[in-house]
Amino acid sequence: MKLKVCGMKYHDNIKQVAALRPDYLGFIFFEDTPRHFDTKIPEISEDINKVGVFVNEDVNKIIEKVNEFKLDSIQLHGEESPYYCSILKSASRFHKAIEVIKVFSIKDKFNFEVLEAYEDVCDYFLFDTKGKLPGGNGYRFNWSVLNEYPSTKPFFLSGGIGLDHVEDIKLFKKNIASKYCCAIDVNSKFETEPGLKNVSILREFINKLNNKKTMNYNVDEKGYYGEFGGAFIPEMLYPNVEELRQNYLKIMAEPDFQKEFDQLLKDYVGRPSPLYYAKRLSDKYNTKIYLKREDLNHTGAHKINNTIGQILMAKRLGKTRIIAETGAGQHGVATATVCALMGLECIVYMGEIDIARQAPNVARMKMLGAKVVPALSGSRTLKDATNEAIRDWINNPVNTHYIIGSAIGPHPYPDMVTRFQAIISEEIKWQLKEQEGRENPDYVVACIGGGSNAAGTYYHYLHEPDVGIIAVEAAGLGVDSGESAATSVLGKEGIIHGCKTLLMQTNDGQITEPYSISAGLDYPGVGPMHAHLSKTGRAEFMSITDSDAMEAGLELSKLEGIIPAIETSHALAIFGQREFKKDDVVVVSLSGRGDKDLENYIEYFKI
Amino acid sequence: MNRINQKLQEDKKLLSIYFTAGYPNIDDTVSIIQDLEKNGVDMIEIGLPFSDPLADGPTIQDSSTAALKNGMTTEVLFDQLKDIRQSVSIPLIIMGYFNPMFQYGVEAFCKRCQELGIDGLIIPDLPVDVYHKQYQSVFEKYGLINVFLITPQTSDERIRYIDSISNGFIYMVSSASTTGAKSGFGDEQTEYFQRIAKMDLKNPQVIGFGISNNETFSQATAYAKGAIIGSAFVKHVTNYGTDSIDKFVNSIIN
Repeated sequence: MKLKVCGMKYHDNIKQVAALRPDYLGFIFFEDTPRHFDTKIPEISEDINKVGVFVNEDVNKIIEKVNEFKLDSIQLHGEESPYYCSILKSASRFHKAIEVIKVFSIKDKFNFEVLEAYEDVCDYFLFDTKGKLPGGNGYRFNWSVLNEYPSTKPFFLSGGIGLDHVEDIKLFKKNIASKYCCAIDVNSKFETEPGLKNVSILREFINKLNNKKTMNYNVDEKGYYGEFGGAFIPEMLYPNVEELRQNYLKIMAEPDFQKEFDQLLKDYVGRPSPLYYAKRLSDKYNTKIYLKREDLNHTGAHKINNTIGQILMAKRLGKTRIIAETGAGQHGVATATVCALMGLECIVYMGEIDIARQAPNVARMKMLGAKVVPALSGSRTLKDATNEAIRDWINNPVNTHYIIGSAIGPHPYPDMVTRFQAIISEEIKWQLKEQEGRENPDYVVACIGGGSNAAGTYYHYLHEPDVGIIAVEAAGLGVDSGESAATSVLGKEGIIHGCKTLLMQTNDGQITEPYSISAGLDYPGVGPMHAHLSKTGRAEFMSITDSDAMEAGLELSKLEGIIPAIETSHALAIFGQREFKKDDVVVVSLSGRGDKDLENYIEYFKI
Repeated sequence: MNRINQKLQEDKKLLSIYFTAGYPNIDDTVSIIQDLEKNGVDMIEIGLPFSDPLADGPTIQDSSTAALKNGMTTEVLFDQLKDIRQSVSIPLIIMGYFNPMFQYGVEAFCKRCQELGIDGLIIPDLPVDVYHKQYQSVFEKYGLINVFLITPQTSDERIRYIDSISNGFIYMVSSASTTGAKSGFGDEQTEYFQRIAKMDLKNPQVIGFGISNNETFSQATAYAKGAIIGSAFVKHVTNYGTDSIDKFVNSIIN
């Protein structure tokens, strides 16, 4: 049985749903519905049949729309007569031969005699639930009515079908009534809001229908990745986080948001960042290594992808004051940068110890107009800076937006940050296609502290089983040394900064201090998506010591003329630890440049 | 009947005091509780210290850090409280963050609380919906009252929801802030107190955050059943030690 997803509206959402490869996508041209389609259809696979849905529309208008949007089918949802259908069926002004689907609404009974006159003038029937609206009423009709179906014309089954009905559909398939049922049509039950489809739930539906036991690695509708995630926040933060949760997907789907985001990524950040084939490094390790050059972004790391997205989000939420936490200062600089760009007040919390050891970034933030506030509590590093930022948000709940810098925090932060960083894997796909003739590498590799560059690097590959995912943590002085940040090994399930994830803690549940030479990986937890990838085995986790990372950083400098950030050096060090095949294509996220780490390199190598 | 419910039925305004267990010294827990009761405090919140107390200001952060340094753990606290009901009869509530309870095991934690005679819990970072779906039955099995917070930003609809699943009192956070951040109430707070009082909730309200002296205690209890003092008490202990608890309590209620 085929699948039609109807009521598509938003550009990126259309692309995401199309990636699930449904057979039909429906676009509603009837104006009196919140799902009214009024933008452009992005480029999607030609195998997907594009259906235009109309209600008692003027024939010329239909022809115009079909030709403008290169539709493959039309679905007639009003009181269109057989004669009307016949005109459309035989119209020669279409760009191609189109299929006509005529809709009939059923409640508990249906007079099948009305179908007869339509037999020769349409290609399919579609049975929907009779309700107040011409469609999209959101509940099912009694499918046993179809036991009396007298025709042999293939039909679509529609009306309020959701994830909960998979078993009913399977039962229906065994029933005689389904003999001519060619497709299932879904819409409102898979929406976050009208026109915006929840891709995770749709994927789950498709997998369940096909009896495929594939795991969902994206966030679910309750804000969890498997058992990780959620929003474990004090009530004081509830209104802020809830406001964001209710609006983030809607705002991100707005065409003017996307336009501004894309424009800034291109003109301000300098995207797309190159995907560079590292020939000498590849030769050395006898495999094909590509570097995704996030280090070439404005401000020198991937962090800016997220801060651009969040500052636009904050503006649309009407916020006038921005707060952020920072460890090494990279996210603080990226936040101060976008606040300068947008003219918003910026306060960055930074551990007192980090302020002392990252003086150049503190100076950068100040030059950009940000106020840097030392976190004086606890261990006075990133964890405490995050606590302080959260406390600030509690004290300023109305006018302030908190730009979290990693794929951590209460839902929807991990998902929002991941979506803003997903540009990394989106670009890798087409860049690799250009260079290797295929979108999917054999492996994607990234270092993980909280895990935002990793989340963006993996995002479009999470559900591509032929792509191996490698996550590289900081082992510090060694996983068993007591001075480490290898959360997947040393962490236990727990709650930190508003989410349930893997974190380093005492048996008594007190959060412990991690250690790594790299300030950006020096975090006691890991984003909930990564905790899920670790627990399910979807990602292979490796941990790299300070010394191996430093050597790998020096090696890249000498072999390719690129000085990487020490965080990134961890990801590069895996080539000394793990074998790849000669023709494996391995894409490494080169998440940041090493300028900020020069002092560390100098001291370490006595340069 | 749970001691909290009994206390709430008394015809008086209630004073509840928070202190951090294990602070200033590891073994002060029991004597602080006894002194507070002796001096007329109606209810006590025993703070289980946490390394990352997100909702707390510097005073309670510092007392928590010190208590952990002193060696306070969940198990140590439970051990200190093992005979507490032989000398203390007012309601005792444990207030702490969710992670230490989660690591102890939520059911094991609740069971131990019941054995010790603890009457309720306040867990600021355990969201209402998670409690409702996952833990309510466990809390009820062990006779524990879970107390939820509301703030000036909490919507009426959500307050009604919280009221519906509460069975003790509602902890009204007086203003958008962490603990100990503000002192004194302005018009904004008064309006908020009046607004909530008019909602005629089934659970009485007890106001906390920003109460530090007789004046703020009187202001808060003009609209609510009681008030909670935390940071001001911890500060007092920091400055004057545990010998003058009577002076502190007297300055509030007399």
